[in-house]
Amino acid sequence: MTESVIGPDTRDAELERPLVDAALENTWATASGFWSALATVDHKIIGRRYILTAFAFLALGGVLAILMRLQLARPEARLIGPDRYNQIFTMHGANMMFLFAVPVMEAMAVYLVPLMVGTRNIAFPRLNAFSYWIYLAGGLLLWVSFVLDMGPDVGWFAYVPLSGPQYGAGKRADIWAQMITFTELSALAVAVEIVVTVFKQRAPGMTLDRIPLFVWSMLVTAFLVILAMPSIMVASTSLILDRLVGTHFFNPAEGGDVLLWQHLFWFFGHPEVYIIFLPAVGMVSTLIVTFARRPVFGYLALVMALIATGILSFGLWVHHMFVTGLPRLGESFFTASSMAIAIPAGVQIFCWIATLWDGKPVWKTPLLFVIGFIFTFVIGGLSGVMVASVPFDAQVHDTYFVVAHFHYVLIGGSVFPLIGGIYYWFPKITGRMMSEPVGHWVFGLIFIGFNLTFFPMHILGLQGMPRRIYTYQPDMPWHGLNLFVSASAAVLAAGFLLFFIDALRSARAGLPAGANPWDAPTLEWATSSPPPSFNFARIPVVYGAYPLWEQREALSVADGLRVDRRELVVTSLVAAEPEARESSPRNSIWPLWAAITTTVMLIWSIFSPWAVVWGSIPVAIALIGWFWPKRVPEDEA
Amino acid sequence: MRLIVLLICIVMLGGCEREERQLRLDPPIASALDEVKLMPNGISGAPPEVYFALNRPYETNAYNLDQGKRLYSWFGCSTCHADGQGGIGPSFLDGWWYYGPEMVSIFASIRDGRPHGMPAFRDKMTTDEIWQLAGYIQTLGAYSAKTAAPSRNDDKQSRPAENRAPAAILFDQGPTPVHPDQGPTP
Repeated sequence: MTESVIGPDTRDAELERPLVDAALENTWATASGFWSALATVDHKIIGRRYILTAFAFLALGGVLAILMRLQLARPEARLIGPDRYNQIFTMHGANMMFLFAVPVMEAMAVYLVPLMVGTRNIAFPRLNAFSYWIYLAGGLLLWVSFVLDMGPDVGWFAYVPLSGPQYGAGKRADIWAQMITFTELSALAVAVEIVVTVFKQRAPGMTLDRIPLFVWSMLVTAFLVILAMPSIMVASTSLILDRLVGTHFFNPAEGGDVLLWQHLFWFFGHPEVYIIFLPAVGMVSTLIVTFARRPVFGYLALVMALIATGILSFGLWVHHMFVTGLPRLGESFFTASSMAIAIPAGVQIFCWIATLWDGKPVWKTPLLFVIGFIFTFVIGGLSGVMVASVPFDAQVHDTYFVVAHFHYVLIGGSVFPLIGGIYYWFPKITGRMMSEPVGHWVFGLIFIGFNLTFFPMHILGLQGMPRRIYTYQPDMPWHGLNLFVSASAAVLAAGFLLFFIDALRSARAGLPAGANPWDAPTLEWATSSPPPSFNFARIPVVYGAYPLWEQREALSVADGLRVDRRELVVTSLVAAEPEARESSPRNSIWPLWAAITTTVMLIWSIFSPWAVVWGSIPVAIALIGWFWPKRVPEDEA
Repeated sequence: MRLIVLLICIVMLGGCEREERQLRLDPPIASALDEVKLMPNGISGAPPEVYFALNRPYETNAYNLDQGKRLYSWFGCSTCHADGQGGIGPSFLDGWWYYGPEMVSIFASIRDGRPHGMPAFRDKMTTDEIWQLAGYIQTLGAYSAKTAAPSRNDDKQSRPAENRAPAAILFDQGPTPVHPDQGPTP
């Protein structure tokens, strides 16, 4: 580094390109070493950790699914006892929803959103670091308790009174409830970061109608998180209070309400489905554009559909509660609103089909997963319209029909696009391509394995097989299909195994990818793969929704930012006109300490209410360290 | 590092036994658990060896304590003892144990009955059920809260929940002790 050239207040416009890179690297890079790794606030490093951790939880949850399928493969199997089975299906659901699906989508956003909007780091990067550590702690809490035979056993939605003080023995339900607090805390933190990043840090010129669709979907998702998650945190905290200090939130004898739990849970739980689904929708829109080789058909319609889905998602929650004996008028209203969600979903499907129809599709692995998504999601959507009707739902409630339905929607609607997205962005994240032939095999195994596993469950449900049973008697007519389902689950698992192997192999030995291997149009492909610590040497300036297709020779950039401190451009909300140069926080170890002290307080508070009092002291100390004044004016920070 | 590993092991051991759910006892263990050695006057004594080999499961295991609470209502204990505050029968919350607070004494009281109206449950409950119930009743009268103790019922609140240690709050020195040899237990 030529220190002599870089003084205080050196601007990138004053330097030649190689010098800019070197100076920015010096300012933004995370040093090697253990403590630097713990203190980093680089959204790419944290995003990578988030993604890896979430996929580790996916693999663990998959192992649980395989265990359940082994147990159910034949009647009266003795592989797993009822108590362990209760823990296993609860863990599978809670793990997949709270530790995989939501975090992995936010993880993709943490990595991709700053790159896609052309900025250098996510907003509130230290909060970002904190959110990862909290998420990790919540995941460990759940899995360590499971290993200790203390895993929650009350179903992933932990209905009272089963999970309440009278029937939920021990600390199992508390561990579920506190795991919720951890994951929702981290999700809320990321949501706030995404909203601020999208609103205030977009590249100059990226007006609202030029925002990439994945970013739009993450923005809507972030608002859903902000509005939905507090409900479940209130619910889980009330549950712990009921169980630990004997409050009566859910005790009808003392004026509480059992159904209150279901309302609070599903007021979060239904938007949760869209918190998982909308990012996947954004990925599909992104992938289709790149591989259909044309701008998306109906950009405005797609954005409106995203927002409409987000708003409607708060008016559907009661369709999970049709058999609780609510008033008929209420049930009819929620039937109507549940069916109404098919309208924005249909708009999106037709826009994608139109884009593919008019484009010249390149049939690479990511696009295969998109096609698989459209196929399975339509089936899941149709069975969704079926269960939205009260009389039908009353018949199949708590049967395998529902299990089939939500796996079609969640795996078909969310995991397929996610795997496609991983194939698509893997070169950006690692700098190497995943194998195309292996990718075709992965798609074939997962797609066929998935449909053969979950389609027969519709039939099992119609034959009356209930959910959550650990075994069934030989004279029930279910064993043939159950054996078939278990065998198909092995195919599905083989597909995921092959995917993991290919990802691990490609990360080390894949073919090197250039900056833009797919010739994609959005800004994350404008920088090298993997991106440098500062993302962009000069902040791009955008004149359309597909900057890399519109300006093929050279991308317009803005200069005038300082290189001797972390600086990024703040732009206006609607027109993305540059407003200010803003400093971005440096690395700090305090988010980790804050996360550790918060973890101690939260876990301790399962056992004693005084933990909230005494445990908040270390948290306060960590936060004081985090926000300690640096004796520099705000503008220079 | 070694300390951390050790701590994790301790936590794991504690966790395993605190939450383990033994749904059905092995018959030999069940019959061994019946072999309590009582003092001649039927008060205090020694639990069977196997009780210690199992690491006192009926005092520390959350599931057993919770089952005990359920047995308390199933076998009509509240008819005489109410919610633990007593009625026709003595209270468990006032700090007084007529036959001492040891598990074996409570076990013997339930199994064999006591004078002045306490019936014998030996033919109505299995051995491990009696142990579970005994553990719960000891928890009711404990002076400090156990983390493994059950919590409140979904019912009208008449006293603090077991895990809030009602006995410590409601401790009552009482009128004159029944027998001059017996004071409040430590």
